Amino acid sequence: MNENAGPEARRDADSYFLRAEGITKIYSDGTVALKKATLEIHPHEIIGLLGENGAGKTTLTKILSGLLPPTRGRVVSPRGPVRFASPREALDFGIGMVHQHFALVGTFTATENVALSHEKPFSLIRLAKTRERLEALMEESGLRVPLDVPVEKLAVGEQQRVEILKVLFRDVRLLILDEPTSVLTPLEVDELFALLRKLKEKGTSVILITHKLKEVQSITDRIVVLRHGEMVGDVRTAEATTERLAQLMVGKTLEGEPTAFELSAEQLPRALSASRKKEFSGEGILHVIDLVARGNTREIAVNGVTFDVHGGEIFGIAGVEGNGQSELVECLTGLRVPVSGTATIRGTNILGKDPRQIYRLGVAHVPEDRWRLGLVLPFTLAENAILGVHRWEEFQGPFGILRRGKVNQHVRKLMDRFDIQATGPNAPAKSLSGGNQQKLIVGRELAKDPAIVVASQPTRGLDIGAAKYIRDLLIEMRDNGRAILLVSADLDEVLALADRLAIMYEGRFMTSCRPDTLNREQIGMLMGGVACKEVA
Amino acid sequence: MTENPARESRLLRGVHRTVTGLHPALESIVAAIVGLLIGAVLMYIWGFDPWKAYWALLRGAYGGSYEWASSLARATPLILTALTFSICVRAGMFNIGAEGQMMMGAMAAVCVALFAAPTVLHLIIGLVFAAVAGALWSVVPAILKVSRGVSEVISTIMFNWIGRWLALYLAIYVIVDRMRPEKTLTVPVTARFPILVRGTDLSASIFLAVGVALVMYFLLWHTTMGYEVRAAGLNPTAARYGGIRSKRTMIISFLLGGITAGLAGATIAMGLPPSYAIFGGGAFPELTNLGFDGMAVAMVGRNHPIGILVAALFFGGLNAGGRVMQFYGSNPVPLEMIRVVMGAIVLAMAIPELIRLFPAIKNQGERFFAVLRRRRETRSKEGKA
Repeated sequence: MNENAGPEARRDADSYFLRAEGITKIYSDGTVALKKATLEIHPHEIIGLLGENGAGKTTLTKILSGLLPPTRGRVVSPRGPVRFASPREALDFGIGMVHQHFALVGTFTATENVALSHEKPFSLIRLAKTRERLEALMEESGLRVPLDVPVEKLAVGEQQRVEILKVLFRDVRLLILDEPTSVLTPLEVDELFALLRKLKEKGTSVILITHKLKEVQSITDRIVVLRHGEMVGDVRTAEATTERLAQLMVGKTLEGEPTAFELSAEQLPRALSASRKKEFSGEGILHVIDLVARGNTREIAVNGVTFDVHGGEIFGIAGVEGNGQSELVECLTGLRVPVSGTATIRGTNILGKDPRQIYRLGVAHVPEDRWRLGLVLPFTLAENAILGVHRWEEFQGPFGILRRGKVNQHVRKLMDRFDIQATGPNAPAKSLSGGNQQKLIVGRELAKDPAIVVASQPTRGLDIGAAKYIRDLLIEMRDNGRAILLVSADLDEVLALADRLAIMYEGRFMTSCRPDTLNREQIGMLMGGVACKEVA
Repeated sequence: MTENPARESRLLRGVHRTVTGLHPALESIVAAIVGLLIGAVLMYIWGFDPWKAYWALLRGAYGGSYEWASSLARATPLILTALTFSICVRAGMFNIGAEGQMMMGAMAAVCVALFAAPTVLHLIIGLVFAAVAGALWSVVPAILKVSRGVSEVISTIMFNWIGRWLALYLAIYVIVDRMRPEKTLTVPVTARFPILVRGTDLSASIFLAVGVALVMYFLLWHTTMGYEVRAAGLNPTAARYGGIRSKRTMIISFLLGGITAGLAGATIAMGLPPSYAIFGGGAFPELTNLGFDGMAVAMVGRNHPIGILVAALFFGGLNAGGRVMQFYGSNPVPLEMIRVVMGAIVLAMAIPELIRLFPAIKNQGERFFAVLRRRRETRSKEGKA
């Protein structure tokens, strides 16, 4: 194999290419994304980086590729420590990363995009020469793309190949791919993996970020598992079982406790109380049949889901983010028009209606992105507290006048009832803390007296106290006979709250059952796209 | 094409809020002072005495009741065209079309000369004509935006030109005064705004302008419709989530903007002595640039109806005082200098945005030097090896 390796082939087989030593990353807002991560990367090796959302996979690779500086720790090559001030320096060193979201100029051709990425500022762009080298590279790697078509006209898989070519063009020795298969068709995945194997033969190291268990097992040599910023496993793929990986990814089951979710035990006493055991007898409120919807890039994001939610139950949808949960919620709340399927609330069709009509049917929506959707940040607390309910009868005066007095009364009630800490109704919403902003949104939505609450990531980014408060509110609503659709990437949260649980993977429900019928390994596997039958 | 809304919101960024952290009013005052200073430096360079010139300007603008009246008269149409721009900015859109809408309004107002009516009624009919004409001219770009996604920036600018030439055609061939073909028909006495201060240009149209500004303030901040318009302007996605139909708020804001621009044209046609007519000859000397100056007023007034009243008084004063400046003393300053000062003030309004760029520029510079240094180090190392 060594004859293929470049001039750097002096190293013997077991010497490493790069080593990350004790990397810790603390973001400026205090989030600890990585805790003392250590990773050694060898040539001729494909490493799978596995973990849930927020496990630190992307942070680690961003540090390796020069996008982020580490807070503590260092990156070492056999020739000594290295520091990259920018991705360009990392690329000069031989480390290239292909991001989940491509960095291509849509109106440029593949050749122009490649030329653009490797030329220095103010240097001449030599398109003919670039094209020549690119053709040679395509021949060599088997990675074919049309060179003279603007990349925006190419399929997503082809765009990804352009991104990979951009990196290979620089003779990288470490290729990092962030969730490369999430946008590809199965055939394209096969082609990509064939290429990765070829690169490995040549001596290139590859890091593959993914949450799909099957893929990681089929292609990698070694699997590194991250959880909550910590490296919890570094196993040879040949020795790793699906169960073991799933367990590492979602956390260990404690001895003696069937569903021991560290969070739930102390934080959600009421959730674990008898209420879950009861069979819900509430009326069916939301019925969804075979819903199909496209995402923002026209791909099929929701691929035929069917479920219903009854009064008096929390229906939880778990899964790694980006598997269609957001699109599903948007369809149900009037923010997205689905391709096909039906969805009714108490028998009334809701698909294709606008949010105002849907709210009238008794829907409350706690959106996943509170800054983009839930709040108008420059508005005051009072103005935000009536967003979506501003046409209520009680706020309307003559001539379309908004009755400020009534609005303020309403806000004070919300502030009291939902414990929103602010200087007053006229405080700007952006001056509120994240927890209080979320309490404001949740309070506003629950004050609608809804039949069904659609809550998407309701506690994301909140401190423990605020998160517990909001979870308690959801339980209270449930106990009052309301239906609740809870979508969360926080597995512990869904497991603790949900009366019934669905796990979403690539736009479909992998299963739909009561949470205590599954153990954590099974859930981890389902989230990674391995169906129950295969497990058993 | 999908990036369009993002780019436009970036364009609008900084219009609502201040960047320096200063109070918006204070920021506007600082900008005005900076603009005046730039004007002073330019005057000094060209050999004028800036202090004398500014003293003349101040006296000419606010030195007595005649001067105040002149300044207020010049502020009147600016208040209305500034409202056009700012209402649309509050709704998240750039309406550059006040100029064309105002000209259509002026032509519609002149049409009252075609029939007779009792005193007050005649005036009101003229205002309705102007408002409707302005609104019609404004709503077409809005409909294009809502239905076909045409950028309102482009379409309103184009509509300015169409409006200008259409108005000129009307002024020269249709509602022309047959005896004096350089101007349109004269608005009859029954449809004129009464003069408030004898011997000045100041007519009762100032009450209309101030009244409209107050109504717009009330509309935007105290009605459900205004709430929806502002929500859609500040965060379109959140507005959509809140059940607000942004297409509707866009059309509403353009209709309101067109109405105020049309009324601005009416204040000229029906409220500017001595002619009470529009001069097609010389291509609308009284009308030209009122729409664009209104945008400057709106910016200095921070797109707030009350701020606009103050800013319009300031710009009106510049216009009125500028005339005095050009025949003051032995070395008079040309009127064009005032336009330079106005331009400098508008630029100064943008300076806070520039200040924010400085850290980025500094970063880039540091990175550049770091690269240079490292390259030199590696080169010397290689040399040793």
